[in-house]
Amino acid sequence: MQTRKDTDTTLNQEKAGSPKYWQSLEQWRQDPEFLKMAEKEFVSSPLSSDEGKDGWARREFLKLMGASLALTSFGCIRRPAQKIVPYAKRPEEIVPGIANYYSSSFVDGDEIFGLIVKTREGRPIKVDGNPDFPLNKGGVSARAVSHILSLYDPDRLTSPKKNLLNKERTNRDTVSVTYEDLDKAVVEALKAGKAGVLSKPVTGPSGRALLNEFKNKFKTTNYYFNDHTQGVEEKAQQEAYGTAVTPRYEIAKADFILSLGADFLGAHQSSTAYTKQFSSRRSPGEDMNKLTVVESLLSLTGSNADERYTVAPGEELNFVMAVIYSLSQTGQARINSQVKDTATQFKAFYDQHKEAVDSVVADLVKAKGKSLVLTGGLNTQHEQALQLHLAVQYLNNVLGNDGKTVKYRNTRTGNWGEVDTLSQLAKDIESGKIETLIVNDVNFVYQLSSDHPLQSAVRGLKNVVYVGDRIDETGQVAHYVIPVDHPLETWNDHEPLDGLYLIQQPTIRPLYDSRSFEQSMIQWMTLDGATPRYAGDESLWFEYVQNYWKSNIIRGSFDNSWNEVLQNGYFDSSASARDNNLPSRNFNESALKGIKPVSSKESLVLYKTIGLRDGNLANVAWLQEFPDPVTKICWDNYLVVSPKYAESQKLKQGQMVEIKVAGKQVTVPVHVQPGVHEKAVGLAVGYGRSAAGKVADGVGVNAFKLAKFDGKEMISAGLDYELKATKQSIPLASVQDHHSMEGRQIVVEATLDQFMKKPSAGIHKHKVFSMWNKHKYPGHKWAMTIDLSKCTGCSACMISCQSENNIPVVGKKYILQGREMHWIRVDRYFTGEPENPGVVYQPIACMHCDNAPCETVCPVIATSHTDEGLNQMTYNRCVGTRYCANNCPYKVRRFNWFDYTEIRKPTEMALNPEVTVRARGVMEKCTFCFHKIRGAKEQAKQDGRTLVDGDVKTACQEACPADAIVFGDMNDPESKISKSLGNERTYGLIEEVNAQPNLKFLTKIRNTKKLKNDHAGNSGGHH
Amino acid sequence: MIKRQQLVLGNKSLKDVTDDICSLIERMPGQKFLAVFSAALVLFGFYLFVQGSIVAKGMGLMGINNPVGWGTDIVTFVFWVGIGHAGTLISAVLFLFRQKWRTSIARTAEAMTVFAVMTAGLFPLLHTGRPWLAYWLLPYPNQRGPLWVNFRSPLLWDVFAVSTYATVSIVFWYIGMVPDLASVRDRAKNKIRKLAYGALSLGWRGTAKQWNHFEMTYMLLAGLATPLVLSVHSIVSFDFAVANLPGWHTTIFPPYFVAGAIFSGFGMVVTLMVIFREVVPVFKDYITMDHMENMNKVIMTTGLLVGYAYGAEFFIAWYSGSPYEQFAFINRAFGPYWWSYWTMIICNVFIPQIFWFKSMRRNIKVMFVVSIFVNIGMWFERFVITVTSLHRDFIPSSWGMFEFTFYDYGAIFGSFGMFFTLFLLYTRVLPAISICEVKPVLNVGREESHDKAH
Repeated sequence: MQTRKDTDTTLNQEKAGSPKYWQSLEQWRQDPEFLKMAEKEFVSSPLSSDEGKDGWARREFLKLMGASLALTSFGCIRRPAQKIVPYAKRPEEIVPGIANYYSSSFVDGDEIFGLIVKTREGRPIKVDGNPDFPLNKGGVSARAVSHILSLYDPDRLTSPKKNLLNKERTNRDTVSVTYEDLDKAVVEALKAGKAGVLSKPVTGPSGRALLNEFKNKFKTTNYYFNDHTQGVEEKAQQEAYGTAVTPRYEIAKADFILSLGADFLGAHQSSTAYTKQFSSRRSPGEDMNKLTVVESLLSLTGSNADERYTVAPGEELNFVMAVIYSLSQTGQARINSQVKDTATQFKAFYDQHKEAVDSVVADLVKAKGKSLVLTGGLNTQHEQALQLHLAVQYLNNVLGNDGKTVKYRNTRTGNWGEVDTLSQLAKDIESGKIETLIVNDVNFVYQLSSDHPLQSAVRGLKNVVYVGDRIDETGQVAHYVIPVDHPLETWNDHEPLDGLYLIQQPTIRPLYDSRSFEQSMIQWMTLDGATPRYAGDESLWFEYVQNYWKSNIIRGSFDNSWNEVLQNGYFDSSASARDNNLPSRNFNESALKGIKPVSSKESLVLYKTIGLRDGNLANVAWLQEFPDPVTKICWDNYLVVSPKYAESQKLKQGQMVEIKVAGKQVTVPVHVQPGVHEKAVGLAVGYGRSAAGKVADGVGVNAFKLAKFDGKEMISAGLDYELKATKQSIPLASVQDHHSMEGRQIVVEATLDQFMKKPSAGIHKHKVFSMWNKHKYPGHKWAMTIDLSKCTGCSACMISCQSENNIPVVGKKYILQGREMHWIRVDRYFTGEPENPGVVYQPIACMHCDNAPCETVCPVIATSHTDEGLNQMTYNRCVGTRYCANNCPYKVRRFNWFDYTEIRKPTEMALNPEVTVRARGVMEKCTFCFHKIRGAKEQAKQDGRTLVDGDVKTACQEACPADAIVFGDMNDPESKISKSLGNERTYGLIEEVNAQPNLKFLTKIRNTKKLKNDHAGNSGGHH
Repeated sequence: MIKRQQLVLGNKSLKDVTDDICSLIERMPGQKFLAVFSAALVLFGFYLFVQGSIVAKGMGLMGINNPVGWGTDIVTFVFWVGIGHAGTLISAVLFLFRQKWRTSIARTAEAMTVFAVMTAGLFPLLHTGRPWLAYWLLPYPNQRGPLWVNFRSPLLWDVFAVSTYATVSIVFWYIGMVPDLASVRDRAKNKIRKLAYGALSLGWRGTAKQWNHFEMTYMLLAGLATPLVLSVHSIVSFDFAVANLPGWHTTIFPPYFVAGAIFSGFGMVVTLMVIFREVVPVFKDYITMDHMENMNKVIMTTGLLVGYAYGAEFFIAWYSGSPYEQFAFINRAFGPYWWSYWTMIICNVFIPQIFWFKSMRRNIKVMFVVSIFVNIGMWFERFVITVTSLHRDFIPSSWGMFEFTFYDYGAIFGSFGMFFTLFLLYTRVLPAISICEVKPVLNVGREESHDKAH
């Protein structure tokens, strides 16, 4: 009580200067003792007050403790914690660990693919062909597979940019710009009139409708550009038949195909669909087709030919005319007398090449109405290209192919551009008709020769808006660059053939601040107050596509049908119409007047490769490291010369030469290529990009530069050139250094006749003895066969495997050292004479041998056999002795020489989470897509059924456009693989080693009288 | 009765022997030694840098590739292991055969073995893609199953063979050295020496019982080491012979490799002894011209043996009827690596033929040059076997070439830095000639007793 009372009294004695809020009575009282205390922050001093008399002061103690802790933990820095967060709200469709598949599509120049895109946790990781889509029917090209990597290209443009250009457009400073400002500026320019649109072909009906609306709204002039050969074929049709169409070729219906330089299995038009059709007729038997190729360079198609003849560049025309001449002489086809006169000029050529022409004529006549003559492509685009096309179509007509193998209805539709589109555009710019140009993904600055008038004309434009995925060569001369959505990020539709509609579904949200060209058009129209006809409330391109389909394509209940279309990926309203034979048209023979023989001269031919084509995907590393099937070289373009020419000019492999065409010059290395005509030298386009990105820039030279502008179009073949050899040379990165089979039984070849007599023709069986009883495989036993008669060597399997299995790219330096990582490779061998050799291809992956030599030598059992006959690598266990690779007779094992896991962002998003990314120092190889086997088994288990044939498809098998690869369970007697293994053509590679490979080959049968290498054909190699 | 050549020249007394041999350990090294030693040390440092870079960056720094999965590392491994063979052969096999001339060179030959095996042992370890996991090659109990090693793999046999060989060689070498170390201890004038050598000499007192035990142990160890001379290189050869690669898959490899190993080992002993004799002139009394001649005879004989093997290989390749085998051998001699094959033939088969002449066998300069050539030739023999067989095997599409990189040269030459650093240290720390074995072969007291008997 006392205390309380005291307190109370003290409370009442209010002192002057005492704080308003107080913590203790001492404070309130302003006790001097307290004030002294309060000045000190801490009750006890952290510092040693008495010179260490009172032992360790706290601060010193802590200091020492800290230092000793730091010392003891020195060198064991913790890795930063990386937290992963599960989906708080899981999207309905996404189950982590379960892949979703979406149908979509890919437009690759002339070729349009129906695709199935595999996505995991919302990111697309693999592209496969849509097996139902009538064109590619599940097949894909290496380029289509690479589509996925172009989505994750680190060099893509991430936001709209403005280039600050001076008048001469010599300097360039790039600044960011908002879409708002950009749109305002563009709409203003469009409103001012004199606007033009230069677009890549608009292949979809919705896109065409929108572009038309846009054209009407802003009174634009539209130009379309696909490639240098565009329109020639249509023009020929126009002159011959009066209607401009690009005919549809029914390869599968042709018993005999004569290709005049058309690389239709390689880089010409829709080669994947063509390969599908071609290979469907390559099973040996009565039904097997025959392919004869006449060309100056050695193309992939030429290397697959049953008969092949070489001519000087441009002489393809002479050859066709000589055939017509021969037909007119023998009367085996009705040839108009006027044409006969024209053809007589080619008598000299005929006499010179009598044997070849007669053989072709015999085949053509035998297959009347069921033959097909083809031409086209960059390598036939010489000055008389139109005449060549006319002559070819005439030949098709007189042989009765028109309407049967050459279809002129339900062909490709849409705006594909005409012969002289770009020169017309240049003229329009110069005449002041165009002041503003919107470019939709046409990299013409790169693709046109430097003397093309558009090159300078575009630099004089007031406004150039470039819509593309990077500031590429053309983007650099544009004022504004709009990053375009990757096709896997946006909706679209395509109409590859009249009445065949294909949908393009996005499979991921745009990674960057990009916008599709169509969305931009809608945006600009709306900004100017217009409402695009099909655009919905939100003015979205998606709504536009959907509404267009609603009103124009789909009849009846929309929602169900639309979902069905999305599931199927396409809508086909002309299937039966396409299949019907059409009546033959009347050929206007006067169009052939004036055809003159092409003089045989040494000249340069530009050509497209199957990997890079026109170079638009050049920044995809997979495609740069994709060995050209014919030359086996990657990471460069080179001057292809014949061995004879190399000898006469004293050129060596890799020697740098200066090639001068009409004052334009490039310096390239030489590649001596067997099978090239001695008067031809070739250079691939698609290389020499200067603004494509880190991968492509500076790889090779730009061959487009050398093309000749003749006032209307670009001439890319038969170019006069000067060649000057230099003393320098560079190594060319070839994945195969030896091109002969050395008489070994590697690719077994036989003629059709030999096969008909004895189906196992060419195979020399070795007797092998074994001391062991074989292991039993009571469950599944996996095996693969590759039909070499069907395989065209296109190498799509390589890239598909690369994408599926996270295979790294190593670069030119390491390819030169023999460090390529491809799990499946395509070997190419030559047989016979180097002037015109036979060419064979052989894809080789791990053979999963029953007696695997790799397994016994691994000291740590990192490679072992499963009870299903698979040879497996346990990456974790591998220490990297490489003994297995040494002991592998097929050399299919690949070693991680360096740490290949460091990849540029966001490329890692393309990795397949089902396949381990291999660490440095471990061995890897083909797994027969083990993860897919597991996946299929689990699926079957969930469905409560047993695994059936076809449940498991390996990545290479899925991609193969030739259907050459069969995979499955050989314990199932009904399976395709069992049947394929039972085929008499089936043989194992170097069986005498007794490794018992489970990847077997079916012999290559050529529909020819005599093989180039008789020895290999008849005796089956060595004995 | 023909009087035998004296094994030690210069009428040495027992004390002379001890003084001569210990002198190298007991005096400070001169400038020349220091210069040579620092050169070796620099080379060793360079070697560490090279191997360190490879461990840090990856095997890709070396020239190997697909198809040549083994290159410099394996070639140099086999080379050094081969060198190691002479030591055990001289010290163990010749001991059992009572070849008394071996006494003065046995210690150094054995030291050479130990250091060569140490140098060699690093290579298979460092040639793996993940050397930090190389201990997985040992069959030890573990928590991974336990996951066992693959007893079918010759590489595993290699692990056992080389580690056994290294262990036995070191023990044999050390046990033989114990009495000598005790002598050094007894002569020591300062405390540290006394302590160090005292510890090393394991309490040796020189009692009769100890001598009895010592000699028994030594003989038993010699017996234990003798089969290793044959086994190690046989097993190393299995690395190749068990594989199915043309050019590797051959039964002649074990004897061929052993002969080659002895050949190269004696080559290296001659090289070292010649240098030793020049640098320490007093050693000429112990390592006499007779020793050198004997070794040259062995070199010539084993040279003929490997020459025979080269010929037999070609014959069998032809006789086998296997086109792959035939091609492999034609490719060796006339393929892109013809130069390595002919270097091997000239160095190993032709050059040692000069030893048919006694004057040449006893000519220091000639034998030095020949021994160097022998070692160059033997390195190339392994190169020929490893690289030229791998670079062109069954499927021509995968044929390729192996090219040396900076790191390959670094590994080859750097390994000599390691070897010589160890060897030079040895000459200054341990008695380089066996004192206790040389003394019994002296003529001290023997001449008279011999005379009396008659």
